[in-house]
Amino acid sequence: MAQIGLKEVVKKFGDFVAVNGVSLDVHDGEFLILVGPSGCGKTTTLNMISGLESPTSGEIIIGNRVVNDIEPGERGLGMVFQDLALFPHMTVFENIAFGLRVKKTLEPDIDRQVRAAAEAMHILPLLGKRPAQCSGGESQRVALARTIVNDPSVFLMDEPLSSLDAKLRVDMRTELKALHERLNATFVYVTHDQAEAMTMADRIVVMNGGLVEQIGGPLDIYDKPASRFVAGFFGTPTMNFLQGEIVAANGALTFQCEHIEHFLAENTPDSLAGKQVILGVRSEHVVVNSGGQQGQVKLIEPLGDVSLVFFESGGQEQLVAKVAPELRFSSGDQLTFGFQAAKCHLFDFDSGTRLN
Amino acid sequence: MSTDAKQALQIANRRRWRRTVVRHSILIGWGLIIMFPIFWMIQTSFKDAHEWVTWPPHWVPQDPTLKNYEQIFTFDVQQSGVAREATEQPFNIWGAVADSLIICTTSALIALFMGAFLAYGISRFNVGGGKFRHSVLIIRMIPPIVIAIPLLMYYAIMVPLASETVLGFRLSLFDTQFGMSLLYITITLPFVIWMMLSFIDEVPYTLEHAARIMGAGRLYTLRRVVLPLVASGMVVTFLFVFILNWAEFLLSLTLTHPDVSTLPVLLNKFQSASEGRLYGPQAAIGTVITIPVVVLGVLIQKHLIKGFSFGTIRK
Repeated sequence: MAQIGLKEVVKKFGDFVAVNGVSLDVHDGEFLILVGPSGCGKTTTLNMISGLESPTSGEIIIGNRVVNDIEPGERGLGMVFQDLALFPHMTVFENIAFGLRVKKTLEPDIDRQVRAAAEAMHILPLLGKRPAQCSGGESQRVALARTIVNDPSVFLMDEPLSSLDAKLRVDMRTELKALHERLNATFVYVTHDQAEAMTMADRIVVMNGGLVEQIGGPLDIYDKPASRFVAGFFGTPTMNFLQGEIVAANGALTFQCEHIEHFLAENTPDSLAGKQVILGVRSEHVVVNSGGQQGQVKLIEPLGDVSLVFFESGGQEQLVAKVAPELRFSSGDQLTFGFQAAKCHLFDFDSGTRLN
Repeated sequence: MSTDAKQALQIANRRRWRRTVVRHSILIGWGLIIMFPIFWMIQTSFKDAHEWVTWPPHWVPQDPTLKNYEQIFTFDVQQSGVAREATEQPFNIWGAVADSLIICTTSALIALFMGAFLAYGISRFNVGGGKFRHSVLIIRMIPPIVIAIPLLMYYAIMVPLASETVLGFRLSLFDTQFGMSLLYITITLPFVIWMMLSFIDEVPYTLEHAARIMGAGRLYTLRRVVLPLVASGMVVTFLFVFILNWAEFLLSLTLTHPDVSTLPVLLNKFQSASEGRLYGPQAAIGTVITIPVVVLGVLIQKHLIKGFSFGTIRK
């Protein structure tokens, strides 16, 4: 039983409120990722689950018991830290064996279990080395082996991949996901990297300013962001945002701003007419060379499989469209564009919450 | 290569060479100034009385002798030959060596033990508040001479008086190894805390967090994770404090006599009304006193280098 529950959890450091009433449920065997910008409270939330921080108010439940007053070591958790926290004065073997020695495991058992964990993480040849002699990826595996060997039902990970280079990071993502499948344990993972969250998570919790903005599957969050913040946080390049007003004309709703007029999808609620809104549209939903708007190309970023075209349409904001690489533009070219009506997101101008 | 380029290279080489010569000359000069008193002490310890103060000075003993050593290591001051220039006060170098060793070692060890735990508390739990780590050093701002006499009063009168009143027998801290150790622990503890703080602050919190998550208690974590990581720092701190105690003179002079005597006080006893300062035996004792410190330093050289260069723990 390894489901985790947070009920109205608050954490204050003096006057600073790091986590401001977070409630969420982590299901047994789930890969849940807490994501958000620095200072959003995601690491503090993780630390409260682990027991390294105690909540100012609220309840933390692991399995069926409230663990607020239970020592970190007695919660049945394993944790991988951002800096990995390998003990520099011990060999890899001793690092992995640490938890077993705490539990006073018999020496032959320690040897067998450490070797099994090392074998699972493909680090058998490293057992005699010190952490300082291991490369970044190797240290990562040592940290994972040290956690696995204690056989926790919940794995907590605090940005464990942030110290790796880009290529290794992508490889480790796949490996972590495979590890999750194999161990069948609950993973709670903290990251600020939206791509990492998208690729690995069963569910994502998006946090901002100590609050949960949205909880959902990766594609739910991508396709239906609950707020302007979430919309802007997920996806590269960042979603296009235009500020304007919804106008009812001839029985249809249109979005109007300084230079752009866009017919909204039919299912847009009529009650929105006359409202100040922010229209968001992802670059892949900007249609180029059709549609009624005029724009001027400012910059092209060819990525190979697609090209990003940055253009202006008279207004202040620069827009970006993801286009097929065959479409060749150069800076200064005129283009026509439009938005796919069904893929447009409307957010309240003041609160940023989703309207459609 | 063109002639210009060759010339430029020559000039650059010459300049680099000149800089090296200047730098090394300064270092050698400085080294000589630093080392000269030690050299003078050692060579004086091998001189006979007529050579101690001569003009012009004798740079090396013209008439080397072991008489000074014989004299300081002789118990029986009346023994013929060596007794002539000996001090009029009774002295016992082996007693002083034992006193010094016992007092300095125990007090440094106890101060180190207490200081390491106190520093851990200050570093991790912010004991005493944010400014406490700076205020622990305040005790060092009082010159020893200021507290020497009040301490004498305390050790020789107040404590015996109190113990006689309360316990019914007279207990004195004056002129005891226990009293001296207690005093040395007190005055070196701020140094230990201060030095250990800088080492313990270097140990990343997450190492302890990792240990705690794996079920280790505070003391287990301290023993298996924190202390091994600051071991070099502890060795350096021990040596530093040991030397402070080893060389302490004023308080020891005030608070001991005649039973207990540390080496610096013994050294000072080598003077007499008739002969004045006995530079030879004093130099011999000075040389003897220096040896344990040097030996200790060499033995723990590895730790010294590690401990003196902070930031040795890979994060």
